[in-house]
Amino acid sequence: MHNFEFLRMVNIGQYLPLNSILHRLDARARIVMYLLILMAATFTAQPGGLLFALLVVLVLLRIGRIPLSFALRGLLPPLPFLLILAVLQVFVSIRPPSALPLFEFGIFKIYASGLVSAGMLLLRFCVLILALSLSSFTLSTSEMIHGLESLLAPFSRFGLPVHDLVMVLQVTIRFIPFLAIAAERIAKAQASRGAEWGVRKGNVFQRVRQVIPLIVPLFLTSLRRAETMALAMDARAYGSTRRRTSMYTMHFAWKDAAALLLGAGCAAVILILGV
Amino acid sequence: MIRGFRVTVRVCVKITGRMTKALIEIENLWYSHPVRGGEAISALKGINLRIEEGEYVALIGANGSGKTTLARHLNALLLPDQGMVKINGMDTREERFHPQIRSMVGMVFQSPEDQLVAAILEEDIAFGPENLGLPPAEIRQRVEEALEITGLKEYRQRPPHLLSAGQMQRAALAGVLAMRPRCVIFDETTAMLDPAGRHMVRRLMRRLHEEGLTVIVISHFMREAVAAQRVVVLSKGEIALDSTPQEVFSHPADLWSLGLDLPLAGRLAIQLREVLPSLPPNLLRSNDLIAALPPPPFNVRVSGLDEETPPVAPQNGFIHVDRLGHTYLADTPLAYPALEDVHLHADEGKVHGLIGSTGSGKSTLLQHLNGLLLPQTGKVTVGPFDLNDPKTDLKAVRQFAGLVFQNPDYQLFEQFVGDEIAYAPRLRGERETLRQTVQLAMEMVGLDFETFKDRLTFTLSGGERRKVALASLIAMHPQVLLLDEPTAGLDPRSRNETLRSLEKLRQQGLTLVHSSHHMEDIAELSDSLTVLHKGRTLLDGAAEEVYSNVSLLEEHGLEAPLVTRAAVRLRELGWDIPRCILRIGDLVGHLRRNLEAHHA
Repeated sequence: MHNFEFLRMVNIGQYLPLNSILHRLDARARIVMYLLILMAATFTAQPGGLLFALLVVLVLLRIGRIPLSFALRGLLPPLPFLLILAVLQVFVSIRPPSALPLFEFGIFKIYASGLVSAGMLLLRFCVLILALSLSSFTLSTSEMIHGLESLLAPFSRFGLPVHDLVMVLQVTIRFIPFLAIAAERIAKAQASRGAEWGVRKGNVFQRVRQVIPLIVPLFLTSLRRAETMALAMDARAYGSTRRRTSMYTMHFAWKDAAALLLGAGCAAVILILGV
Repeated sequence: MIRGFRVTVRVCVKITGRMTKALIEIENLWYSHPVRGGEAISALKGINLRIEEGEYVALIGANGSGKTTLARHLNALLLPDQGMVKINGMDTREERFHPQIRSMVGMVFQSPEDQLVAAILEEDIAFGPENLGLPPAEIRQRVEEALEITGLKEYRQRPPHLLSAGQMQRAALAGVLAMRPRCVIFDETTAMLDPAGRHMVRRLMRRLHEEGLTVIVISHFMREAVAAQRVVVLSKGEIALDSTPQEVFSHPADLWSLGLDLPLAGRLAIQLREVLPSLPPNLLRSNDLIAALPPPPFNVRVSGLDEETPPVAPQNGFIHVDRLGHTYLADTPLAYPALEDVHLHADEGKVHGLIGSTGSGKSTLLQHLNGLLLPQTGKVTVGPFDLNDPKTDLKAVRQFAGLVFQNPDYQLFEQFVGDEIAYAPRLRGERETLRQTVQLAMEMVGLDFETFKDRLTFTLSGGERRKVALASLIAMHPQVLLLDEPTAGLDPRSRNETLRSLEKLRQQGLTLVHSSHHMEDIAELSDSLTVLHKGRTLLDGAAEEVYSNVSLLEEHGLEAPLVTRAAVRLRELGWDIPRCILRIGDLVGHLRRNLEAHHA
């Protein structure tokens, strides 16, 4: 039924103004907390650590009042790619020389360690995607921009163009839903002129083939749009003063410190479980 | 004639010019758009213009006459190839002045969504003031003000991509107002708004002007030009006319040759003066015209025109929508209902109009009529196709009912115009007759085959892109054409051409369903109408029937066509005229009959 709602597939880059406790924390506290959890989930080496990380993220989603089904839908689009990666992982993983294969099909040998690392890879990506979606649901772009700016401010003394980097990030994020919408419109326009979009049939290969004629117009419209957006930003005096200010003032309160400590604690547990 | 005209204009500008300091000074400005590997396209050819602080200027001209290019020179987005542009004495070629120039001259662009930078509306409005380095409290206050003025308070937390076109336009304006500029340029800001939204923006323009701001309006609505103090007409990169609206609009023939038109009230007044010579000349505003309508010079015998009910043609239910509902992003926190309870009946071979304010669900409804969206609740049938049946061949539906979208940018995906139009026939496997099909389709919309077939689609102007999009659907030979706002943002000449080609298509037996904010287009062309309001059908029936509900329409932010309003007023004054008239010709005919009846 939802052939053309490309937007519903895109979770990252969407902010949900739900006004939960999580949404009301200081932006900097949230950024650091999410970063700690993301790093811990990236580097933890055992399934136990990953499972705990998954639990932490699910609890945070709950605290943020984000419907679980909505968050999980974001896992669907990258799933085929992850599965391919996982299958590769089964064959290429490093194993101890003494290990015996579980199954053998001709030249293919499957080892227990391969299955475990494939499962870990799947789980790790799921945790990372969920954590990234969580941060975008609860951190508005401007909060993130100003939070990052404030966090990175000390580095500008060493000649880091903090300001421009942060702006690049902001515009990138703004473009994600746009790409989904533009792809949807182009697909609709092609469909109404006889292309095979959303006609309730076609196998995986046909579906992949459909995407190709979409890409060129998508690039063209994106480039044109990037150009006009740059023009609009120029027209609104972007980059005209050295010191850009923010509508939001940030106060780091005790609850932010508590959240930060909790986040650091969770990250530590994830890493310790993963040793 | 035009030359003599210019002399008087110069004199008049000089007199006012001495009073105040010029905010904008342009001397002998030349500019051409660079084309890679080709000859630059010259866009402005020796423009001389002075705009004083606090002036209210309308900049009009046909599509491609250089209006937008000129406007972009005013806040240093483009720099002159030759000549000079000075804003408050600051030369735009000197980069150190750019910050000041850009905060002084704000600009609302043509396509609203490209201007919104942030992920949430209120943050976007804060973008400009943040760039100016203002303190947080000040920014907050300005954002509140801008939200208040544009009436967007309830949407402050919405992501821009979930706003309707009209809301996005207002958001873009709010973002500019928050910078407290001394001059605001509106680049066709009202093109995509419904009458209520347009009124709102026009009121804003007037208010900004009254507060001492310089207002420059680029518009295809001659009504907006009439509201200004001064009208500058561009033609092929040169200033053709520069004077008061009264002067500019007193020479209709000249305007036509420049691709422009009189405002609707002016056109109606000229035709009415043929039968009502007592009507004063140069009526340009609708309200002035309505107020000036004379009572009959004698007692008219009122015939029984009222009792005569309009002949109701039996409906053949060619397109049939019943209790249709559609929710976008259903089952997500961002879900919002676009259609709730929609009915629509359109007959074969007729033109059906869809009216509704922005966000009322017109586009969503149209997408149901060619199977791009499938009914979540309710029923849709289009010709022989039942869209509730999961076995229906959707490709056949889309071939049967072709949809032309509102924004041509997303519809053009080929590099060359010829290929673009050939896309659908090629997919169908057409080979030998392809060239002929494309040529016919292009002629249908008034594009010359030889001139345009090898043009790059992205170098076309807005109006030309619109025509290519229409032609590309005509080449598919659909039985039904669905058109989403076919005339929005077109200059008067292209608008008339489009309406004429739609009329031609109807004569060839096509069924047309078109949506519009322009009551006048709908009135001139439609046999039946559906009025949508907030995802519900308000009225559905024959055009006369729907328009006789003037008060219900006005209650919902829509307005009856001016002809209908004039007819209602004349009837009140004692003329013998039926209650609902939709065409100028009919009104004139009735008045003439009244007068003849008296003489006889």
